[in-house]
Formats: sequence, C-alpha cells, structure tokens
Amino acid sequence: MVNKYEVLLLLSPELGSEGRQEILNTLTGIIERDGGNMLLVDDWGIRDLAYPVQKMTRGYYVRLELALPGEAVSELERIIRITDGIFKFVTVKLADKYVPEEA
Amino acid sequence: MAYKKKFTPRKKYCRFCENKDIPLDYKHPEVLKDFVTERGKIIPRRITGTCAKHQRSLTREIKRSRQMALMFYTATHSVDVIKKTI
Repeated sequence: MVNKYEVLLLLSPELGSEGRQEILNTLTGIIERDGGNMLLVDDWGIRDLAYPVQKMTRGYYVRLELALPGEAVSELERIIRITDGIFKFVTVKLADKYVPEEA
Repeated sequence: MAYKKKFTPRKKYCRFCENKDIPLDYKHPEVLKDFVTERGKIIPRRITGTCAKHQRSLTREIKRSRQMALMFYTATHSVDVIKKTI
C-alpha cells in the first residue's frame, strides 16, 4: 500500500547548495530503501519567516512530493529529525492508494 | 419612530463555497491571513461567515502554517514586532 505524501522542509539559510543537495540525496535514499519514490522537488527558495526560528529570521523552504508506504513515514520523520540543518518539517497525506502511471 | 429603522447586516457567505478556486491550504498564508486577527487569533465563523466544513479545514491549515513559520502564533513573536523593539 503506497500513499502519496507531501513534506515541507524548512532548512537553514546558511546551508550551501551542496549541503541542501546532500540532505535531499540522503532523504531520497531513505525513501527508495523503504519502497517509495520521490515524485517532485519544489524549491521555494529563501523566504522571510513569520517568527525567528533558532534565531534566524530567514529560511530555505523545500517541498517534496513522494509516494511511500504508510509504515515508512515514521522512519522518514525520524531521519528528518536527526538531520542537521533541518529546522522544521510537516508531513501531509495527499491521497490514498497512489498508483504510478507506468504500472 | 427612530428605532423602527432596523439595521440589517449584509448577508454573510462562505468564501470557499462561493469560489472553489481559492486555495485552502497551509502553503498559502496570504489567503489564511484574512481569517486571523492582526494579533494572530483565528476569527470565529459567526463573524467571517465561513461554513462549518471549511472552518474546520481552515483551522487545520492555519495551525500547519504556524508550525512551518509561514504565519506567526502571536504578534509579539512576529519578526516585524521584534525588529521594531530592538
């Protein structure tokens, strides 16, 4: 059972583009290991925050869309929590029973 | 008689039922901003006229938006206010 999820990450603005790419690569690795796949990476860029987070007033937002089995979400969130440079995240379920087009 | 002239308020309607194209999710804080006070409190639906179904999702999305620092929890935490006080 694969569902479609959306994850919005708030990354540190001090991270370079290599640091961001590295985080995305590790997350993609975790997702693919658990039997899902990354569908979309939506880069919002640096935005002003509504309130300071870890004393920073700006942050880098990245929105991910992914297909993942439900049991693997807690593992993905555990990895997100222990990764340095990710300030905040939110996971939202978009749809049940995601069926890939090339099935 | 003066008090015979009764004040009839304009009919309120749910903005999200009226126009299905308005995005109601946490990624659009500019839409959600109309449904909180300037101090950041969620306005009850008896004032905004939002229907019960949409008010429930509105509340959920405002809370998600706050979580991701797209909206502030309270104005005293807001970046604008903090900049002014320094």
